[in-house]
Amino acid sequence: MLLDDKLFDKFGVEYEPNDIIFCEFEPGNDFYFIQSGRVEIVKIINNREKTLDILSAGDVFGEMAILEEEPRSASAIAIEHVKLLRFRRENFDALLQGNPQLAYKLLVIFSKRIYDAKRRLMILLLDDPQLKIMDVMNMLAEQDPHLDVQEPITLRVTIQEIANWAGMQINDVQKLLTHLNKLGKIELFNDRVIVRNIRDFQRMVNSRRKSMYA
Amino acid sequence: MSNGSSSQGITTRTYKSGSIVYFENDKSECIYILKSGRIILTSQKLETGEEIKEEVRPGEFFGVKSALGRYPREETAQVIKDSVVLVLTLADFERLILKNVNIVLKMLRIFSNQLRRIGRAVREVLGETSTINPEEELFKIGEYYYRAGRFNQARYAYNKYLDYYPNAKYSDLATKRIREIDSGQAESNIAPQPVMRKEVVSHTEELKDFTLDDDINTVPQKESVAQEIDDFFGTEDANNSEFDISPEDEKSEDISSMFYSAMSMYSQSEYEGALKLYKQIVNQKSLKNDAEKILFQKAHFEIGRTYFKMGQYNDAIEAFSLLMKKFPQSALNVNALYHLAMVYEVKKQFDKSKAYYQKVISLAAKEEIGKQAQRRLKNLESH
Repeated sequence: MLLDDKLFDKFGVEYEPNDIIFCEFEPGNDFYFIQSGRVEIVKIINNREKTLDILSAGDVFGEMAILEEEPRSASAIAIEHVKLLRFRRENFDALLQGNPQLAYKLLVIFSKRIYDAKRRLMILLLDDPQLKIMDVMNMLAEQDPHLDVQEPITLRVTIQEIANWAGMQINDVQKLLTHLNKLGKIELFNDRVIVRNIRDFQRMVNSRRKSMYA
Repeated sequence: MSNGSSSQGITTRTYKSGSIVYFENDKSECIYILKSGRIILTSQKLETGEEIKEEVRPGEFFGVKSALGRYPREETAQVIKDSVVLVLTLADFERLILKNVNIVLKMLRIFSNQLRRIGRAVREVLGETSTINPEEELFKIGEYYYRAGRFNQARYAYNKYLDYYPNAKYSDLATKRIREIDSGQAESNIAPQPVMRKEVVSHTEELKDFTLDDDINTVPQKESVAQEIDDFFGTEDANNSEFDISPEDEKSEDISSMFYSAMSMYSQSEYEGALKLYKQIVNQKSLKNDAEKILFQKAHFEIGRTYFKMGQYNDAIEAFSLLMKKFPQSALNVNALYHLAMVYEVKKQFDKSKAYYQKVISLAAKEEIGKQAQRRLKNLESH
């Protein structure tokens, strides 16, 4: 999803590896569209830097600045040499008037992001850590519509990522996953998890979700 | 419903009052515009399960987000007065709005508001809502990177601090830090720290927090139901290698296997079977480790919940009471109290029900369960 070169001449900015693009708590006026390279979104929590996301070409970040000026909720740091389009809030309307295609792309990105955020909230609202972890796997399975849920499925995910999604400490996640592994419900690898019967996880989570505030 | 005329691929459909345009969880890439009539969108509030109804006004779009994001419908669209609806494919929609960018701008603002609201809810659940002072926090970001020896990033934060707050509390210190960094003095000030910039190697072991340090112990532990339940299976010795099963492990696997099967059965409405397994767990004579002790407690709770589901309310009361009697310190008790309140509500013993909701509120006012109890109590009192 690359935009044309004319836009880059006008709005293009480049960053070197480890450059901060914007910093947590800095007022936010711009939003960015990645042309090339990867950008890490990090937040300092309890005096530790945590990676929230890694974005690449076609992704948008800082988009909350479209609405109003608020302090950034995370920092964006260039991982490698990156080319970005930087848009200011003031000329946002004019920019989109002149580039309806970009407006449409933003609409699609926002739709996806709202859903992802809602889906994450659903995980976090579960009152049981084991179910949270199962629901992270449910969510990952939903993201791939080609998976055959009747069969064991392979999810490309690390323990760190599961911990981020579930809002849990990595050690706790590790223990729970090890346990599911022992029970034969999943097979655990460094870069992936195989789930034997994802429908079982879906049923358990759905049933709890329904009865949570019955 | 009948298919009518179509112009440029856009179809017109008429719906009778009472019919459904789409159900929650349906998958479809159609987008609709209400031409005339009345349509109500019904969804549930995620935090509370509360029903939200929203009316579509003539001329408005609906079904946009789920079609664009290609995810299941989040609401049910019901026709409450005979309606005429335009049905657009994604391609139709794209063509249409590319000619009307103002619609996109309006939608973007609505979406952006929604995103912000959900973001706030997420932060609230994660407990990241404490009021902050962005000025001070921005300076602290600089300090973090300075101490970590990541001077370019520190300099960026200090510079931004000075841009936005030239005459504030930390302006002098920020200026001093920048000087230290530029003169190379900073490097000798800072002993190498274990929190060096981590290499980003995605999807490998490296991403694990090897900088994990003692703050895991200094973070105040939440005293909440969630915290206690946090140890579902969890306190088992993590050092055990995954496939090295000692006899003790085998034993604990029995209990956790039973627990897992029981949960699975419960989720498939096989309550009798679930109950049998939970009872087997609470009848265990000896518990080998903390993981088993936690499951033992939880099984007591689940017996109550299962009876509740089966409509055996007195058995449910007995089970929850037994849990609280045997484990007076268990944080599951808040949830047990909440369930007791619900049981009495169903039994129409409203005074008892109210008393239990109040108890929950007094113990967990700030947690989701406390808020929920508040809501149900209010509901009871208004009837």
